[in-house]
Amino acid sequence: MNTLIAIAGIGIVAMIADILRIRKIIFPVAMAGLAIAAFTAVSDWNTNTRYFNDMMFFDNYAAAFSLLIVVIAIIWFVMAVPDLKTGNHYSDKSALVAFSLAGSVVMVSFSNLAMLFLGIEILSVSLYVLAASNKNNLLSNEAGFKYFIMGAFATGIFLFGVALIYGACGTFNLQEINAFVATNKSDLSGQMYTGVLLMIIGLSFKIAAAPFHFWAPDVYEGSPTTITAFMSTIVKVAAFGALYRLMAGCFSQINEWWTTVFIILSVVSMLVGNIMATRQSSFKRLLAFSSISHAGYMLLPLLTLSDLTGTSLLLYGAAYAFASIGIFSLVSVMSENDDESIDSLNGFAKSHPIKAILFSVLLLSLAGIPPLAGFMGKYYAFYAALKSGNTSIVLIAIISSLIGVYYYLQVIIAMYKPTGHTSASFRFTIYQNIVLWTCFLITLILGIFPQLIIGWL
Amino acid sequence: MESLLWIIPVLPFIGFLINGIFGNKVPRSLSGIIASVAVLGGFIVSLLLFISLLGDENLSFTSKYFTWFHVGDLKLDMAFMVDRLTSVMLLVITGVGFLIHVYSIGYMHDDKDYSRFFAYLNLFVFFMLLLVMGSNYVLMFVGWEGVGLCSYLLIGFWFTNNNFNDAAKKAFIMNRIGDLGFLLGMFLIYQTFGSLNFDEVHSNAMTYAYGQPVLTTITLLLFVGAMGKSAQIPLFTWLPDAMAGPTPVSALIHAATMVTAGIYMIVRANVLFTLSVFTPEFIAVIGLLTALLAAFIGLKQNDIKKVLAYSTVSQLGFMFVALGVGAYTTALFHVVTHAFFKGLLFLCAGSVIHAMGGEQDIRKMGGLSAKLPVTHLTFLIGTLAIAGLPPFAGFFSKDEILVKVFASSPWMYGALALASVLTAIYMFRLYFVTFKGQFRGSHHQEEHLHESPPSMTFPLIVLAILSALGGFIGIPEIFHAPNLISEYLAPVTHFSSSYSARAVSHETEIILLVSTLLFLLVAIWFVYNKYVKRQAIPEPDEDIAGFGKTLAGKFYVDEIYTYLIEKPLNAISGLGYKFIETGLIKGVVDGTAQVVGALGLGIRTIQTGKTGTYLFAMVIALIAFMVIKFMI
Amino acid sequence: MIFLSVPSDYMPMAIMFVVSIGFVLTTIFVTHLIGPKRKSDVKLDTFECGIEPQGNSRIPFSIKYFLVAILFVLFDVEVIFMYPWAVNFLELGMYGFIEMILFISLFMLGFLYIVRKGALKWE
Repeated sequence: MNTLIAIAGIGIVAMIADILRIRKIIFPVAMAGLAIAAFTAVSDWNTNTRYFNDMMFFDNYAAAFSLLIVVIAIIWFVMAVPDLKTGNHYSDKSALVAFSLAGSVVMVSFSNLAMLFLGIEILSVSLYVLAASNKNNLLSNEAGFKYFIMGAFATGIFLFGVALIYGACGTFNLQEINAFVATNKSDLSGQMYTGVLLMIIGLSFKIAAAPFHFWAPDVYEGSPTTITAFMSTIVKVAAFGALYRLMAGCFSQINEWWTTVFIILSVVSMLVGNIMATRQSSFKRLLAFSSISHAGYMLLPLLTLSDLTGTSLLLYGAAYAFASIGIFSLVSVMSENDDESIDSLNGFAKSHPIKAILFSVLLLSLAGIPPLAGFMGKYYAFYAALKSGNTSIVLIAIISSLIGVYYYLQVIIAMYKPTGHTSASFRFTIYQNIVLWTCFLITLILGIFPQLIIGWL
Repeated sequence: MESLLWIIPVLPFIGFLINGIFGNKVPRSLSGIIASVAVLGGFIVSLLLFISLLGDENLSFTSKYFTWFHVGDLKLDMAFMVDRLTSVMLLVITGVGFLIHVYSIGYMHDDKDYSRFFAYLNLFVFFMLLLVMGSNYVLMFVGWEGVGLCSYLLIGFWFTNNNFNDAAKKAFIMNRIGDLGFLLGMFLIYQTFGSLNFDEVHSNAMTYAYGQPVLTTITLLLFVGAMGKSAQIPLFTWLPDAMAGPTPVSALIHAATMVTAGIYMIVRANVLFTLSVFTPEFIAVIGLLTALLAAFIGLKQNDIKKVLAYSTVSQLGFMFVALGVGAYTTALFHVVTHAFFKGLLFLCAGSVIHAMGGEQDIRKMGGLSAKLPVTHLTFLIGTLAIAGLPPFAGFFSKDEILVKVFASSPWMYGALALASVLTAIYMFRLYFVTFKGQFRGSHHQEEHLHESPPSMTFPLIVLAILSALGGFIGIPEIFHAPNLISEYLAPVTHFSSSYSARAVSHETEIILLVSTLLFLLVAIWFVYNKYVKRQAIPEPDEDIAGFGKTLAGKFYVDEIYTYLIEKPLNAISGLGYKFIETGLIKGVVDGTAQVVGALGLGIRTIQTGKTGTYLFAMVIALIAFMVIKFMI
Repeated sequence: MIFLSVPSDYMPMAIMFVVSIGFVLTTIFVTHLIGPKRKSDVKLDTFECGIEPQGNSRIPFSIKYFLVAILFVLFDVEVIFMYPWAVNFLELGMYGFIEMILFISLFMLGFLYIVRKGALKWE
């Protein structure tokens, strides 16, 4: 709860800073606020407090996911700060980011469907604006517009699902819905099932799972790179946190019913994401499709709810998010050249030999090569799916991750190709260097010691 | 005491980091000192450990740092274990290692990659320590691979010379072949015993009956690993080529420490080997053949380092024979003495090469005793020690091996004694040709001749003292003095010693001892006659004929390998490239890629960029889900 | 279950549907019949708040109307929160008062922000 207040506080301070024309304080305040948020998330460990008539329930699961989100946010903020500072809207963007973060914290700690909806909306509405925040860029405008229209559409579907469930059991409260489902397990109405399906679909829009992914490539490509990084990491982690909390908290009793939905979503996402990614020439678009495929992998542990589900989601989310942010720090440098094509990376290894190695490691982590974090994430996700007996799904997952290796390697090969740009065209600021090294180290450490996360939940 | 364990490997690692990261920014005078001090620190701690282990015989220090990984039933700890076996190895590695580091300060003085050399050297020491301190097979394997890597890096240290690079690659590949055996052995150990920790595996193995086939398979596979690392037939040809590296490297890695890793591994796993049928005999035969073959080749080599390299291979063969007859402590005793005198000999050779300005051919040397008094004296001590003359170190350990071998098989004893006589012959030949007679080098070299600086002669003197007196830690029973090293190591091989209790009577032992000595003296007299009295010098390459030519050609083992393995392999891979690679694999892989690509193009048509289409697709998908869930 | 319902309960909804559809249809057709018809290009054009319905959609136009309208809606909606508070003022007591002060101050912060950003500047 204090995490939420701290994060919302950052947003308010950012606005005050704009009023008082003291924008310099935004970055330190944001860092301090996020540090406090992280600290409170840790100190709320094992408290299991319910807030506001059981609207929110801050259990260990919520604390762990909040902590992950906050840590990602800290690294993200360091990466994004040079970009946020350009233009006249430093404080506006920072405030929007903070509010969006607040939304994501609500999404992982709700215990009432109304709060889930509120969380999603707080997160999304800020993002619609952020996606379009590069006002003079047509693509950015288009991204914001598309994201808004389709997001509103998905929210409508989600809300329809919530309404149907309320109609079926007369409550928004997770525990009560769970109790209702448990007692009426055998004769649940079609209304209830439809509600569950619509909610899943509404949330799969947020995690960009195929076939509800259509917005993702265009929006990812059009949005300012830092915002893309935000969307593909923090939003995805938060949406997965919400999805798991919802399914485990409400509908664990009718697991068999919705498992098929997740299987379809997962398989289609993995195939579509990976296959499409092989055909991309823009690095950012490639990452968009790869993030769709990662949504597919992250759905695997959800096929059966067990002790492993939460932890493997957390591990995968961490592995994926840190590697992605590290890579986005490269994309943001590329964006400054207005050339985000993979070919523009030619000669990168020659001008930045060490960075080329770091990026290769991060890309390989996304591809799932041991001993990096991405491998451990995939390992546990596949393991969880195997334990639930979905051998054929895991087989598809392995094949599609092989396709994944292909296009990640393409990027690495592009970096090591000799011809191309001179060293002058990639300018890394100190912020990007910090982010890159941090992400690299985390990726290595999590790969060697997955226990750091696995043992927790 | 447990709390000190981590210091030993961490110190050299820090040295590696400092020299490795800062490279040539470290002042030249400092990088050698840093490296040496790091190893010296390890030596001091090792000494403390050694002393504290003296008391209780079942004491061993184990220190667990963290769980390395935990997959399924396999739980591996990052843990160090120091028992008496390890502590002896630690003393050798850090002690001899320190001396060689000090020596290198002088030897590498003019090299421009001074800090890189010390970084590699420290990294090697780190991995070697990991190898002997690890408390499970996997950690041992990490060290095993690590020393292999460092050996590769150091053989190819002067990487601008392509021959040196080839030698480095050869060493690495041969080692890898052995490593495969070790790895498979490890897998089989895990499958059989369900663990890879030394104490669990070995205590579990003790419950097995003698002669289980699985134990034979495991030990054979492990021995294949040892063959690679310790240069035994058929994987020995890399070691002579490894002399391409700087001489201190040859001394440290290819004589004193790394090559003895195979011995250490077998002693560590002695329970498994004792319980296996066939493997010990196999080891003994391989060791014997290696000892003889290398000794014969050594007779006709004219490169000062090559002679020493073949003598190393031969001496390693001695140790394996000892292991094969179950004399584990004896083998380790020889490891220790060998580290002293072979380290010494190599360092002396280095000193000679240094003085000769890089010349390694003994036919161009001669009469160096006057100009290099310290080197000459210490080299003589080393030669006496390796030839096995009392009271020098080699005498005691070699004698112990011979006696133990005789106890189990007299004909093996005969062959091994022959190898030991050959050792005396080629070593004294080397000594006489190098240090006696007339100087045969160029005028320029003669002017340049000088004794090495103190940083090089100091290690020589220390090692010479150790080579002279080191044998007294293992006095034979017949002299009624305690055999310190075998008593110290007794707990390690406690289980095995109950199996191989064969011994010879004191009378036989004395006869053996005296007769071997006589043979040695005759051999030395013969060599003296030829090379000092008659002033013979080894003939130039083109004049060598007959069997000597075969010897000088190293029995053509390399050539045989080329025809037997390399050529067929190349042919097969050529065929594979033609038919399997381009035909089958490329077809399948490219075919798959094309299918994926085509699919991508197909799906791409939906991704139009129009919001309306997207919404439409979403609705269709939604309806599809409805149909799947409610209609079907 | 309290949610059991019979078809007759939906009767009012059915009537509602009939009436609304009837009204729409009646108005469309009746106005068509009785109204005068003057057909010109301008008259037949789609009407959209005074903006040209055809042509390039990326034309510059004054955003101020929209801004003011949106801000009005925002503040209007926020004020609604005060209504239940005012009704339950006595029950909520001091706690409610402080919460509302907090709410209003955040609210005012938003207002100040808008002013400072110049969103309400007409020129």
